[in-house]
Amino acid sequence: MTFDFRIFSIMLVFAALVFAPAAEAQNRLGNTELNVPATLMAESQQVKAGQSVTLAFVMEPKPTWHGYWENPGDAGIGMSFDWTLPAGVTAGKPQFPVPDTLLISSIMNYVYKGDYAVLVNLVLSDKARPGPLPISVKSEWLSCTDEICVPEQDELSITLQVVGNEAPLVLDKRFNGFRAALARPLGSEAGFAVSNDRFRLSIPLPANVEIAKPYFFIKEDGIVDYAAPQKFSRDGDRLILETGARGDELDTITGILKIGDHMGFLLTATKGEVAMTGLPLANDGAKTEGNASLLFLALGGALLGGLLLNLMPCVFPILSLKAISLAKAGGNETEVRRDALAYTAGVVLVATALGAILLGLRASGAAVGWAFQLQDPRIIFVLLALVTAIGLNLAGLFELPNLNFGNKLTRKDGASGSFWTGALAAFVATPCTGPFMAAALGATIILPPIAALIIFAGLGVGLALPFLLLAFVPAIRNRLPKPGPWLDSFRKAMAVPMFLTSIGLIWLLGRQIGTDALGLSLIFLLTVSLILWWFGGGQIKGLSRGALTSAAMVAAILGGIIALPGEEAMNSQKLANTSAATLPSEVFSETRLSALRASGQPVFAYFTADWCITCKANEAAAIQRTETADVFADANVTVLMGDWTRPDPEISRFLEKHGRAGVPLYLYYAPGKEPVILPQILTVATLTDLVTNPA
Amino acid sequence: MRNLPSFTVATIAAIALASPLAAAQKNGAIAQDFKLTDVNGKTIQLSQFRGKTVVLEWHNPGCPFVSKHYSSGNMQATQKAARQQGAVWLTINSGAKGKQGHMTGAEAKALIATQNIQSTHYLFDAKGLVGKAYGAKTTPHMYIIDGAEILVYQGGIDDKPTANPADIRVARNHVLAALSEIKSGDKVSVAQARPYGCSVKYAS
Repeated sequence: MTFDFRIFSIMLVFAALVFAPAAEAQNRLGNTELNVPATLMAESQQVKAGQSVTLAFVMEPKPTWHGYWENPGDAGIGMSFDWTLPAGVTAGKPQFPVPDTLLISSIMNYVYKGDYAVLVNLVLSDKARPGPLPISVKSEWLSCTDEICVPEQDELSITLQVVGNEAPLVLDKRFNGFRAALARPLGSEAGFAVSNDRFRLSIPLPANVEIAKPYFFIKEDGIVDYAAPQKFSRDGDRLILETGARGDELDTITGILKIGDHMGFLLTATKGEVAMTGLPLANDGAKTEGNASLLFLALGGALLGGLLLNLMPCVFPILSLKAISLAKAGGNETEVRRDALAYTAGVVLVATALGAILLGLRASGAAVGWAFQLQDPRIIFVLLALVTAIGLNLAGLFELPNLNFGNKLTRKDGASGSFWTGALAAFVATPCTGPFMAAALGATIILPPIAALIIFAGLGVGLALPFLLLAFVPAIRNRLPKPGPWLDSFRKAMAVPMFLTSIGLIWLLGRQIGTDALGLSLIFLLTVSLILWWFGGGQIKGLSRGALTSAAMVAAILGGIIALPGEEAMNSQKLANTSAATLPSEVFSETRLSALRASGQPVFAYFTADWCITCKANEAAAIQRTETADVFADANVTVLMGDWTRPDPEISRFLEKHGRAGVPLYLYYAPGKEPVILPQILTVATLTDLVTNPA
Repeated sequence: MRNLPSFTVATIAAIALASPLAAAQKNGAIAQDFKLTDVNGKTIQLSQFRGKTVVLEWHNPGCPFVSKHYSSGNMQATQKAARQQGAVWLTINSGAKGKQGHMTGAEAKALIATQNIQSTHYLFDAKGLVGKAYGAKTTPHMYIIDGAEILVYQGGIDDKPTANPADIRVARNHVLAALSEIKSGDKVSVAQARPYGCSVKYAS
């Protein structure tokens, strides 16, 4: 939602009253002084009989000006189109990008502030003859600033060429961007209710879909009070909206649910009962107090989460030994405190830095979550080498002079050692944060960046809290068991959780890069271990092999990183993995599809998106089932999967070609036959019958 | 701190004024009474027209959609027809000072003369209290109140939401239609229609 409060600061004075009839001004045709000039473009200059071509009205508002969505809101006017088309050409409905809100003096406007493109499909009849195809359209639209409005219009024309069926088409790449800005059909139906002047809408949306600043733009007038604040809550796989109502004359409504910048879903809702359940979502319509209390709540959650992290198998060994070492140094208060503070600084710094990187990546549009650093196999490999080395160290294979995991805290470099222990703890701990921290970290998306960083820092403070307590409350420290010979056994026992963490990382790495690459990585890991063993052997003999060991370690780890597969291989591996559960699939591409078709292979193609609840339901109920997988495997059916979670121009075009505006789409290509479009609701029988009882 | 009580009173008054008004927007309910000053500084109260049909018209001379209906003479003709059948026509300007369409009494009088505006009174609502109470969103935005002070119509002047004067000829004038239905004692068939035009230029 972009409530625009700039109006309060921009108090432009329009003193002069223009009584000149605006009717004259608005009939200027094709003039260049329009405030929101329009340009007509075609995706392809060449068109073929029986096919369609997409036209775009590219609207470029001058600074401070805006144009309107098809439902303009409380005031304003949508865009109109009066076509002059040759016989046999028909124009489809205009498709508008996801709009913004603009609230001025409690009057709500649904607008576009920046450049935008309205798309219209033209369909040619089969009988169109090769030659020029003149298209012209008279369009009217309203252009406004926050203060004034000017109705504008233009006559736009373009001449396309009808070409033969064999001629190649050149597609304008800019249309990929235009299409990506459109709302995409949600695929599942929503429900709405109007009672006591309240409008409620229940939208099926999987619980794991991330949403930011949601807003529902209704297309029909007279149902919703546009200017009323919209309150959202989430209840499992439903997103529920409550806002002010205007009337209840309609049984079906349509509109766009916006869930982020340029991310919106077209939906249809029918009248029914809607209960306001689930957890309320904060949005930027909420008051600052709301945000402040949210900040404190999230900060509390972060502190507590950080505290709990101390018990994680990947963190506990490091920390418990560190704690006992602290206790041992009990005699020297200053040193203990210095170490604890250095440790805290390390933890907080790394937690905040990871948070800052996360926010930065998000701001740049990447869909990353917490523990994003574990999505890169190279980082996992480094971490794996590190964790294994720590495990070997705890097991007593060698002693590490700089990182004081053992009982050598009394060394001079204790403070920097503590700092790095803290940094390591925070880095390793992040993947464990997920379940404990989900709510608090979710808040960081809504809160302003500074507040979000405070939460990340809070997580670090929580993680460091036990240490700070130990250092500054001697009473607690005195209760710790005194170091003795048992400590050595304890230290060795602590190697077990460390190795368990290694196994977890190996599993994670395998899922990302596949078993072949994993095997290679493990060889490098073994090399690392052998080098450390050799180093430890030197220590026992009193030989210093530090420099040589360091060099060999760096070489082995670098080798491991280089041997890791590239990003592309990783992506395809990821895709394969997501469906490897039951029914393996390949990434969809038209080239791959034609190749498979040419080789006479039966193909099942399905198109899905993470936000599409129907898709997910079908996958769980019919596609990802052993029955289906077995039958498909026996019949040698290749499965292609197109993921439309993010806009993908190739998939968009393919869906459009099959008369669909969105997912799901299920297609079965029997060898040498026309493809069959399967129903939107699948059962195992629907799929297996394709192969066993072909129609 | 002597200003504080008066400020408080004013706030309470504004709230008291505003809260029942929210309900007044509904067709079939009693239209909220109000007092505004006209171009001569005279106070005009809605309730003084009890027993007569009253048409409210929200106005902003700088808005192209208002111009559509005044340049073409459509609004004046509608005003004339309304008054001929005994209705009162109140044109209300809720444009805040410094915003588009705000006028002084003298400027408004000059405008009435040049454009031959036929309304009974031209009223100023620069604070926007009446406009917001009635939920006036656009210029023009029309309301009809019958002789029993019941709100019977709210919405646009007609059903062609464009700025093109050529559309007036083929449009259904909702106000004229409602007035003739009221005159013949029928229920208003289209009691609510989408208002269209520029947004009302409220102060805040």
